[in-house]
Order: sequence, then structure tokens, then C-alpha cells
Amino acid sequence: MLSIKNLKAEIEGKKILNGLNLEVKAGEVHAIMGPNGAGKSTLSAVLAGRADYEVTEGTVDFDGKDLLELSPEDRAREGVFLAFQYPIEIPGVSNTNFLKTAINEKRKYQGLEPMEATDFLKMMREKMELVEMDKSLTSRSLNEGFSGGEKKRNEIFQMAMLEPKLGILDETDSGLDIDALRLVSEGVNKLRNKERSFIVITHYQRLLDYIVPDFVHVLYKGRIVKSGDASLAKELEEKGYDWIKQEVEANS
Amino acid sequence: MLVENIKAEFNLYKNQAEKSDFFLKREEAFAEFEKVGFPTTKNEEWKYTNLKNITNQSFQSTCESTIETELMLSHAFLKELTANKLVFVNGSFRPELSTIIETDESIVISTLAKAKTAHSELFNKHFGKYAPIEGQGLNAMNTALLSDGAFIYVPNNKTVTNPVIIVNIADSTDVNVLCQPRNLIIVEKSASLTLVETFYAVGNNPSFTNVVNEVYANENAHIEHYKIQNQEGESYHNNFTQIFQEANTNINHVTLTLSGTLVRNNLHFFMNGQNCNSLLYGLYMPHGTELVDNHTRVDHAFPNCHSDELYKGIMMDKSVAVFNGKIMVHLDAQKTNAYQRNQNILLSNEATVNTKPQLEIFADDVKCTHGATIGQLDEEPMFYLRSRGIPADVARKMLLNAFADDIAERIKIPELVELLEQEIEKKI
Repeated sequence: MLSIKNLKAEIEGKKILNGLNLEVKAGEVHAIMGPNGAGKSTLSAVLAGRADYEVTEGTVDFDGKDLLELSPEDRAREGVFLAFQYPIEIPGVSNTNFLKTAINEKRKYQGLEPMEATDFLKMMREKMELVEMDKSLTSRSLNEGFSGGEKKRNEIFQMAMLEPKLGILDETDSGLDIDALRLVSEGVNKLRNKERSFIVITHYQRLLDYIVPDFVHVLYKGRIVKSGDASLAKELEEKGYDWIKQEVEANS
Repeated sequence: MLVENIKAEFNLYKNQAEKSDFFLKREEAFAEFEKVGFPTTKNEEWKYTNLKNITNQSFQSTCESTIETELMLSHAFLKELTANKLVFVNGSFRPELSTIIETDESIVISTLAKAKTAHSELFNKHFGKYAPIEGQGLNAMNTALLSDGAFIYVPNNKTVTNPVIIVNIADSTDVNVLCQPRNLIIVEKSASLTLVETFYAVGNNPSFTNVVNEVYANENAHIEHYKIQNQEGESYHNNFTQIFQEANTNINHVTLTLSGTLVRNNLHFFMNGQNCNSLLYGLYMPHGTELVDNHTRVDHAFPNCHSDELYKGIMMDKSVAVFNGKIMVHLDAQKTNAYQRNQNILLSNEATVNTKPQLEIFADDVKCTHGATIGQLDEEPMFYLRSRGIPADVARKMLLNAFADDIAERIKIPELVELLEQEIEKKI
């Protein structure tokens, strides 16, 4: 589904990604871990199409399409969803109107008619239940006055509504207490299926206790330097990142 | 040249007029006009707003209009709204286009020309008492040669059930037209009124609308006052609104400037008692080379009053906006709460905003804040919306609507909010 080859990217002349390779197949969950400054958030930003990052080399193929050539909105409409680390507040834009617009723009892109209002409301209700989202939040402005946990849950709710092929969770666990973390993770787990893939970017292993990945990759200095299964995350939790850094330094 | 037109017109009037008190007031105003003339950019209050395109042209007052009624009314906003409507074309009252639905006969919804005799006591008590003439050439010009306008009187404890809409249409089909509406609004103790002023222009010649409003709010009165300026073509507009508030009054004022070659709004509040609440909101979205200038002044002269002001601008093309808000907190006005903000979004590299929020505080126990921002549409919300599949142009509209929403939510007539949303949709 997603094939990243030799990806190099920089911001304001500073090289962040230095030849990253990653293959994600349909239905797989890949965790990307790494110390601060390794390039984790850059990877999510580049995949979602943030303009301030410049890709200098490499390719990203998403279901046969050159992802890097697409605008952020087209990436979303092709099925990429980024759950933001810091979802922003947009006063004056209602959650409901925002989601209706997003869904209908996606349908338009796919050549479909706009969704019937009743179908849309039904879908809202179902997905709200699925991710245990408080009903009162949907009538409010987008993320305005939401707690940290509510904002993250709203990201997962949006993901549930937009039904992407690939969900990228950018440090979704940051700033969450254990109850919020559990709720958000349960929401993600309910969205896992044979077709839908996830890239879970996190600094800490604890998220991966809830969202158990098929693969764990360690990102360091802009490259994936180690890959393994879920047990690698446990090892990192116990030993920290220093041994990986030393391994990398020794090999270079 | 406009100044010659004014002089000629006044001389004509002078020779025919009865020598009444009203005449003397006008003569006095004319003398002041001759003395001070039109403001120039040398005047600090007019630094960014040059009137030379008005004063260098000829304009004439005329009650003639060749536009057909139907067409005229098709221009009028809020056609469907259940309201009392007073329609003025080129400053002249048009009874056949107007409708009064208020059934309470103690409430007066009429014209200034009629009120001068029919309600002479009220007229003489209030007319010319609030809007200053001295040093104000445009107010003096209005007083000297005013055409007509609304006269509204709401007695003690009465509520005007439906809004009153004053529709002003400048028809410049045949000539360069000068309209000088003059409205006198008196809302007595514990009475309430919702007032809407709308302005349009038709015709290909230039028009100049020079309005003076005097609004008197007696104790405990409540006024909702909305202004919609949507004069297309070459149209110039100056508006001076003086609101005089007695104790415990509550005034909500919203100015929507949608179109006009040059629009200058002077909105002055004077609080003449304790516990007054003055709310001033405005939205402007000039395009092309339009200029919108909002000068506001709030005089906190008594303790325990509250004022809140928010003006927002969406600037397109080579448009220019001026904002100058002055809050005067007088020596005795302790426990004043006064807030003022001006926020602008530039959608073009060539648009200009000159903003000057001003506080002058002479009391020592007050809470006052002011601030201004000028910037582009934020990148972050834009990216957030796009990352959910919403195309850039749709996202931009959503964000601009959200920006305008702060003002729209101050409007308590749903039809007017809807109209504003449509206009935003059209403009952006």
C-alpha cells in the first residue's frame, strides 16, 4: 500500500530525513519509535504534505500513486489520514459542518453525490459511539475549548468518519493520561481491519501496550536503523535508545 | 466643485424659507460649514481618508428618481423580513414604498419633515442636540441642507414589536446625486427598539450620501442598531452617528460595510449615567480600490459602565481600511470596563490597513484593554482543513466565515445573519 524509498527531506536547509525506507502492506500496523529529533514528526509531516518541508530525494508510492505529487487535500481524499500531535482549535467552524464538508469533498473527488443529511447524521451517531465521543462536542467549534484528551479523541473520531486506507498517528499519546490513552487506543483498535494500515509514531512504548503493532522500527538520524516485532518496543522501554545509538555509531 | 453646489443650494433655500427656529439652526450650521469646509488629510482624524474625489466633483440634491419602483425594491435588502419600512430615495421619503405595521399608536415611526410640526416639542428638544456641528464641516453641511429622514419615538415602557428598517437608496441615473439623510431616534425610559439602516446605490453617475443620526436612549432603554452599507458603483458615504445614553441603557450597534467607493463611519457613544452598556461591532470587506474608514469614540463619563468594541476586516485587492477607536475614560468614570479590538486579514499583498486603537484614561480604577492585529489567513488551520480533504479554496472560505462569525453572532435578526453569510459568499 505504502512504499517509501530513500526518502530525504529538509526544513530551512536542515537535513532531517536521510534516506528512509519503509514498506507498509494493507492491514499492517507499523510503529515508528525513536529519540527526540530523530525525524519522527518530519516523516508524518512529509507524508501529509506540509509545505514547509522540502523533499530532496526519494519516492513515496501510495497504492500506485506518487504521493509526493499530490496536494494535502488530494492525499486525504486518496485515503491518507494524519492524526495530529497537536490538533489545533478553529473557532467559528463547527465540528459537524467541518466533517460534512470533508466527507462530501471526498465523495466529490470519487465522483459520488453528496451524502444525504440523514445518512450523515446516522453515520455521526455510529462513529461517535464507536470511539466513545461525547455528543456535545460535535455541536461545538472544531476543538475549541476541548481538553487534550478530547482533542485526540476527536482526531480518532474524524478518522472513523473519513475511513482512510492509511492512518498516521503522530505521537497521539503525548499529553494523555492513562484513561484518555486507553480510550483513544480502543478507538484505533476498533478501526483496525484487513484493508486499513496504520503508522503509529511514538516516543514511548506505553501506547504500544494498547495498540499492538505488527512491526516496530527505530528511527535515528533520519533513517530506520532497526526493525523488529512488538518485542523490540519492550526492549527499548527497558534499555532506552542509547544502545541503538552506539550500534549505529559503531557501524558507521 | 461641491462647495459651490452647497453654497448655491443654501442660497436658494434661504430665499424661500420661513424664518423659523429650524431655519436659524440651519443658517448657523451653514455659517459653520463656510468657516470649516470639508476636512482634509491635514486633519489628524482624516489623515488616511482623502475626500478630494468628492469635493472636486459636482453633486446636486434632487428628489427626482426615474428608476421604477419594482427595480428599486429589488435592490432593497431584507424584502422578506416582517418589519416597519421607511424608504428614502435620494433623501426623499417614498410613502408608496414604505410600510408601517406597528399598531401601537403611541409609537411614532415617521419622517423628520412631518415630525417638525406634528411632534414639534420632541423635535425641538432633541434635534441638533447630540451631533456636534462645531468644527465638523460634514455635520454642518447635513444640518444646513438635510433632505429628510426617519423620526422614531418610542415612549416609556414600550417595545417596537418588529424592527424598523430605514432603506436609503441613492439613484444617480440622471445626475451626480447628493443625499443627506438625517435621522432622529428617541427611545424613552425602559423602551426598546431594533433599528436597521440600509444603504444602496443605483445608476452610473457618482453619488454622495452624507448621513447624520442622533440617537437618544433614556434610562433603561435598549436599542439594537444595525447598519448595512452596500452601495455599489462610484458611491461615497459619510455617516455620523451620535448615541446619547442615559443611565442603565443597553445599546448594541453593528456596522456591516459590504461595498462603497469610500465609506467613512463616525460612531460616537456618550454615556451620561451609570451602568451603561455600549457594544460596537463592525465588519468590513472592501475590494478593488475601496476605502473603509471606521472612526469610533466612546465617552465613559460616569462610573460603572461597560463597553466592548470589535471591528474586523477582510481586505481584498488594493483596498484600504482605516480604524481609529478612541475610548475616553473621564475623571469620574471609576470602575469602567472598556475593551477594544481591531482585527484584519489581508487577502492580497496590495491591501492596506491603518489602525489606531486609542485609550485615554483619566480615572484610576478601571479595566481597559485594546489591541489590533493585521495578518494573513493562518497557515495552520488551513493545513488542518486541507489534511482532511477540504480543497484550499473551500477551506479559505470556511476560515473567513469563521473570522466573520464573531461579528455575525452579535446580530439578533436571523434574516440579517443569513444575508450577511450570502454577501460574504459572494464577495470572497
